[in-house]
Amino acid sequence: MRSARRQTKVLKGKSIMNTKVKKSESSLISQLLMGNKALFILLALILIMAFASPVFFTSDNLLNVVRQVAYSAVMGAGFTLVLGSGHMDLSIGCMVGFVGVIMGKAMESGLPVPVAILVGIIAGSLCGALNASVITLFDLPPFIVTLATMSVYKGSTYLITKMVPISNLPSSFVFLGQGYIGPIPVPIYIMALMVLVMYILLTRTMFGRHAIAMGGNAEATRVSGIDTKKVRLGVYMTMGVYVAIASVILTARSASAQIAAGQNTEMDAIAAVVIGGTPLSGGSANVLGTLVGCLIVGVVNNSLNLLGADSNWQIIAKGVLILFAIILDVVWTKMYANMAKKKEAAAK
Amino acid sequence: MEDVILKMEGITKLFPGVRALDNVQLELRKGEVHAVIGENGAGKSTLMKILLGIYIADEGTIVYKGEPVRYTSPLEALSHGIAMIHQEISLIPTMDVAENIWLGREKRFLKGRLIDRKARYQATEELLEKLDIHLDSHAIVKNLSIAQMQLIEIARATSYDADVIIMDEPTSALTDVEIQLLYRIIRDLSARGVSIIFISHKIEELFEVCNRVSVYRDGHYIGTHNCDEITQPELINMIVGREMNNLFPKQEVAIGDTVLRVEHLSSAGVFDDVSFEVHRGEILGFCGLMGAGRTEIMRSIFGIDPHDSGKIVMDGKEVRIKKPKDAVRCGLGMVTEDRLRMGAIYALSVMANTTIAHFYAICNKLGFYRRSNEMQAFSSIRDTLSVKCSSHKQKISQLSGGNQQKVIIGRWLLTNPKVLILDEPTRGIDVGSKSEIHRLISGLAAQGMAIIMISSEMPEIIGMSDRILVVRHGKIVHECMREDATQEGLITYAFGAQAN
Repeated sequence: MRSARRQTKVLKGKSIMNTKVKKSESSLISQLLMGNKALFILLALILIMAFASPVFFTSDNLLNVVRQVAYSAVMGAGFTLVLGSGHMDLSIGCMVGFVGVIMGKAMESGLPVPVAILVGIIAGSLCGALNASVITLFDLPPFIVTLATMSVYKGSTYLITKMVPISNLPSSFVFLGQGYIGPIPVPIYIMALMVLVMYILLTRTMFGRHAIAMGGNAEATRVSGIDTKKVRLGVYMTMGVYVAIASVILTARSASAQIAAGQNTEMDAIAAVVIGGTPLSGGSANVLGTLVGCLIVGVVNNSLNLLGADSNWQIIAKGVLILFAIILDVVWTKMYANMAKKKEAAAK
Repeated sequence: MEDVILKMEGITKLFPGVRALDNVQLELRKGEVHAVIGENGAGKSTLMKILLGIYIADEGTIVYKGEPVRYTSPLEALSHGIAMIHQEISLIPTMDVAENIWLGREKRFLKGRLIDRKARYQATEELLEKLDIHLDSHAIVKNLSIAQMQLIEIARATSYDADVIIMDEPTSALTDVEIQLLYRIIRDLSARGVSIIFISHKIEELFEVCNRVSVYRDGHYIGTHNCDEITQPELINMIVGREMNNLFPKQEVAIGDTVLRVEHLSSAGVFDDVSFEVHRGEILGFCGLMGAGRTEIMRSIFGIDPHDSGKIVMDGKEVRIKKPKDAVRCGLGMVTEDRLRMGAIYALSVMANTTIAHFYAICNKLGFYRRSNEMQAFSSIRDTLSVKCSSHKQKISQLSGGNQQKVIIGRWLLTNPKVLILDEPTRGIDVGSKSEIHRLISGLAAQGMAIIMISSEMPEIIGMSDRILVVRHGKIVHECMREDATQEGLITYAFGAQAN
């Protein structure tokens, strides 16, 4: 009896070892697939387009695609933190317009460009601080609070401008949206910098870790001795800074502070983050995925343009993309789990 | 021989790693009030869940009204006349009394395609009158007291013409007057031939309202007695009964100076005038029944919940603790009772879960950290606590309960606390990991850490603690040293029954 038991124990040990060996062989590929689903979609799209259109794979066109997504990539990078920390911010689109006209007014009044941008950044982070404070103070759901402040920022923009856009912005400012350094458009540098900063924030700093932990389980994080109110404040203020930078790109590109600038782009940011693999439920964040998500949307839009489709198809395509990404995520995860199960069963 | 309406026999239920019920029985006669009693984890609620079809028994038979049955859902059981009134109120707060009572059975009031509200109110009033419950059938439930809600639940159960009503600790939220009202209704129901299963923690009330009592312990059936043929001490013996095993590797440690002193801590309606102190190297056990206020006291000390008055003194200095962060900075650590909601962060890796409380110390002044530093901190915990995980990146949700708990204890060990509060540290953990955790706790005390341990398991409390406090109704009602502690004594204080 005893020896029989020992035998099964030994056998078990063997089978565990076997699966381990097998795992390291086949799971590398599947893990790579699992971790970079968005990247594979992007590569597939690029591959298809490279054959479908002769113009697509030219450096001019590709740079154009990236330049067009620079704004949404900056928004998305900030939003990755918001979503990863378990929050929501619907006000960021209208905040872009609000910060834009504040910078416009600042420059109109003769402030130098760097100072005006600084004013914009401060305004953005204060807007974020307002969002966070209301959520914390009254213990309200972020969705509702930012839905309300969205309207506040929108109305403030209209009031400040009296519905007249601010144009004639200094050329050194416009350079940030339209200029080139070498062959590469300036917004791409800005985008790369902001994505990198967010990447470091999320993977190398205490603040990033605390924010993600909060997204995973806010109560457990608080009990672990972390001031979650402060973390929330930091998250929304960081989002505000990202909004301000995005606003610089958008305002400079159109060379004027439009009153409706940025409206509805919060939805694009959410879409990009989700396509990029950051779960809506929080607890993990993938800013590189967000960048890829933005690029996917950009490539699809560009492709439809090149193929001569009605531009309204782009809107539908974005919707289909979001659904496709989510469905793929669910199906893929299920397949992966099933595969693991089968392997386990086979090992037994 | 009186009519037996329900007979459960040979019921066995296995959960992964645990034998929740082992050959358990219950016999219910027509029109009797039958108490089901036992400590937390004795298997009472599992047995009821099997009766209602929430769980399926691995072995055993249920004979109801002379026929073998096996229900698959509470709804099915209800349709055969078995109703349960849960401890948590399951009414819809925004609806009125009549709507709640007839919820799901609106069909019987249909007039054409619309609900005849008048008829529903009339039926409700007749029902309430029959039970002699004075309640307005139009009242919105959320404006009522807990007792009134419980009465609605009872009315709803009887409205199904239930032959068996299960009441799970029905008096736990009631005042004395309300309890008397409840007793009257129970007696009334039983006089009309309804059988009642009365689950309770309060021994004295069994003798007041019940005819017979069945006792369960650790998933075993102990026995059934007529209430007028058994005394309180005999009953307590049956409840506790088990022999102490020497699972507990408690080391004898010299007790040092006072580290934490709590003075007159109060929180209205939760706990009242709580004072105690804990010393270096000491394991202080807190026992009491679920809901007695043990957890709430600790949550307040740790800053999770606020308190109204009282002082917390660490190393002779009064400290103000408003949030858990303050507590951590004072040298407190707390492993919470509810691992799922308050402990583990399931979306995160084992490593991130281990280092979270200590993370600020891993980072430099600018808030950046090196992965190697985090890895070092994690490895030290993984090795000393022998946490079994496939890699540091593995999600904590994939670990076993015992390993998750080790990670959470490890989370606090990294902060090197002076006082570690452990709330039910071994709940839901298999026997092997349990004794590992016991050894760990004992070792920490030996190193001079002060430990406060809440546990509902009497052997664990007596086996591990140097000193034991009993909490009942938010007050510390008894204190004793390890050598003076007996299960019977502690249970008596916890239940609030008179010691003989």
